[in-house]
Amino acid sequence: MAKDNIFVGLEIGTSKICVVVAQARHDGTLKVLGVGTVPARGVRKGEIVDFETAKRCVHDAIADAEEKSDVEISEIYLGITGGHIRSFNNRGIVVLEDGREEIDEQDLEDVRTNAREVSLPAEDCILHTIIQHYYVDGQDGVLNPLGLFGKKLEADFHVVYGIRTRIQNAIRCVKELELEPADVVINSFATAQALLDKSQKQLGAVVIDIGGGTTDFVVYVDGAVKQSGIVAVGGDHITNDISIGLKIPTARAEKLKVEEGNVTLGTAFPGETILLKDETGFAGREIEREVLNQIIHARLREILDIVRRQLEAEQNLHYVGAGVFLTGGCSQIRGLEHLASDLFGMPVAITHALPMAGVTSAFENPQFSTALGLVKYAHLMHLDRPSSGGVFRRAFQKFSGMFRN
Amino acid sequence: MVQLNRQYDRDQTPKDSIIIKVVGIGGAGSNILDRVMLDGIDSAAMIAVNTDVQALTASVATEKIQLGRNLTRGLGSGGDPDLGLATAEEAADEIRAVLQGGTVIFLCVGLGGGTGSGAAPLIAKIAKEQNTLVIVFSAMPFTFEGKRRCRQAEESLRQLRATADAVVCFENDRMGELALPRMGIHEAFAEADVTVSQSIRSVANILQRPGLLKIGFDDVSAVLRNGDARGMFGYGESEGENRAHDSLAKALKNPLMNRGELLQNTFHAIVHICGGTSVTLGEVQIIMEELNRHIGDQTQLFMGIGIDPQMGTRLSVSILSSLGNGSDRATVPAPAASQYREDLVPAQPVEAADSAALGTAEPGQSESNNSTATDEFAPVHPAPKPEIKPAPGSAPLKKAEAKQETMQFEPVSRGRFEKSEPTIIDGQDLDVPTFLRRHV
Repeated sequence: MAKDNIFVGLEIGTSKICVVVAQARHDGTLKVLGVGTVPARGVRKGEIVDFETAKRCVHDAIADAEEKSDVEISEIYLGITGGHIRSFNNRGIVVLEDGREEIDEQDLEDVRTNAREVSLPAEDCILHTIIQHYYVDGQDGVLNPLGLFGKKLEADFHVVYGIRTRIQNAIRCVKELELEPADVVINSFATAQALLDKSQKQLGAVVIDIGGGTTDFVVYVDGAVKQSGIVAVGGDHITNDISIGLKIPTARAEKLKVEEGNVTLGTAFPGETILLKDETGFAGREIEREVLNQIIHARLREILDIVRRQLEAEQNLHYVGAGVFLTGGCSQIRGLEHLASDLFGMPVAITHALPMAGVTSAFENPQFSTALGLVKYAHLMHLDRPSSGGVFRRAFQKFSGMFRN
Repeated sequence: MVQLNRQYDRDQTPKDSIIIKVVGIGGAGSNILDRVMLDGIDSAAMIAVNTDVQALTASVATEKIQLGRNLTRGLGSGGDPDLGLATAEEAADEIRAVLQGGTVIFLCVGLGGGTGSGAAPLIAKIAKEQNTLVIVFSAMPFTFEGKRRCRQAEESLRQLRATADAVVCFENDRMGELALPRMGIHEAFAEADVTVSQSIRSVANILQRPGLLKIGFDDVSAVLRNGDARGMFGYGESEGENRAHDSLAKALKNPLMNRGELLQNTFHAIVHICGGTSVTLGEVQIIMEELNRHIGDQTQLFMGIGIDPQMGTRLSVSILSSLGNGSDRATVPAPAASQYREDLVPAQPVEAADSAALGTAEPGQSESNNSTATDEFAPVHPAPKPEIKPAPGSAPLKKAEAKQETMQFEPVSRGRFEKSEPTIIDGQDLDVPTFLRRHV
């Protein structure tokens, strides 16, 4: 068992596997002790497709992190993503039996259970039931109903679920490396913890994490998760598009995307070309800059448009006051914030994790937002434990139950 | 025995004009038949044909024909197609009597074994005699069942393709697309049966259900007869907000459809949309627009819309097509059919020449013909007949064979995501580069 104040987040991403080790300090802040990262193989669209290869990569990343942080890792918080993960909002209701008027912990648990009772396909299991708002006897705006008097407790929850077997793949990968997953968290939720502070959550914010294989987003309204989603399209797709469109090898396309890619159209001079040097097995070529940008533009515009349409479908965009926060490896493509603010019609910021103490290079890179978020999430859960003891235990029960089945 | 009465009364339906008969041949065939029966089909005769009496008794079909009363005496054919053929020859009169009067005859058969592989081509031929539309649903064996069974299946399939109007081939190897590996084996097989059953029912429904835009028997014949006998089916049903898109996606995902890739190469296709009274014009538009992305410019679409209150809030899409370009096949069936009749009626002893011409002639094949030479139907050679006719038949058929090589042709490139699960949102396959889809 790791020391009580050490938290480790593991993100098995499509492009890289990332481990962040952090220590909770006495003043309630986190200090990043070390970051281990290796390029991922055997992962497609955020999910493991080659178990053994992916396992080796995870092992290497863990070893890297252990070396850099000088901590022996035994328990981790695991980030999960994948196109199969879905979510919805649901309200749970509990009526207190006669003769009892004070709402206790059991009622809070019951109302959560009540909200989870929806018919899902048999192969699915629930990952999160995130509390949004409580209502006591129909009264709005109750922050913590524990100890209040009332007859009826209602609560809105954001329920996230996915296909059990596909979630288990990642868990098994970790377990086979003799690591104990303390909790499984969807990436978007973790990322939001790293990016947003309390006031931004309260104002309303959209976090979009465009990663290698997936685009994960989450919407905060009034301090609560209102909507989340995963589109299984990411930077890999851009690379693939470039590779097909310009007929160059994938590795070349990836390099071109990172070094020359720009999402804004009309920035290149007419006829401006990029010279690809020849290498062994690849003849040099000239590529028109505008064509490259068009390919990138078409894809990224589409990704953001899908997210925007999903937000509009639930009419959440009106409640977003703090703006759109873009992160993830793909957010580094030049000009993305202009495209996004055009599409969303609100301020857009390319961000990385909020500063923490320790290894500063870690949180200045949007690629590490999710892994840092996992540590933040772990820390929050840990802080939460003494006050409302149920949350952590429940999270663990839910998780271990899932694995047993 | 279970007798299900699923024959709903429906006045407007011209039941008498189109008579559907479903024939299940062999063990696998009767399983499919039972599934069709259980799922319910409007006014169709169900006929089980098998050598194995035990299996025959267990079947819920309304009519049953035992093959090989004298030859196998109620036992199975032991995986020997020649024996299967001989038993079918023995019962040919009985089969002919039962098939009499059908307009559309479906044959369901699992190829690779004895009864199915042996009897199916002959039964198809007998069915074709009635001047009917003959559609064969065949299940090909798993590769791991051995090369011999696969060869038997291939041979039988070849014969069926030469005879029937359409042969829809379900490869057991692709069962994995229907069922998860951890799923019970019976469930997996049941899923496969359901797929075939849905296809049969959807054709029956297209023909029999009242329609706003009606697709007639003539349309179906046109589509199936003009192909090169490799039929494709897709059926999808869905409800809820996105039902139009979902049901089409399901139909295209059908293993009998090859993910809709082959639709590019067809000349005719039937789309039938059926739903309750809540079907909107918008939904029809969505389906047709999405479908148009999958078919080539040269394809002629027959669209049908049926309103059936029984569907409730569900919406179903059936796609029916066959491969190949119209002209090829059009010339083939006529000579093939008449040729066969010539053979059958004057009973010429032609086996020897056949085997020689066949090239791949297996000794077993000719032996069987000799052994049954005493039989009245001795010359009724299984289907290779039309194929080996040198003059009119061979050239087009050869062409059809060559096309088979291009089965896996994919019109749109997905690059490195070729083999991964497609990400489809709002009807767009997002793995295909955006600039290609939008023609930037």
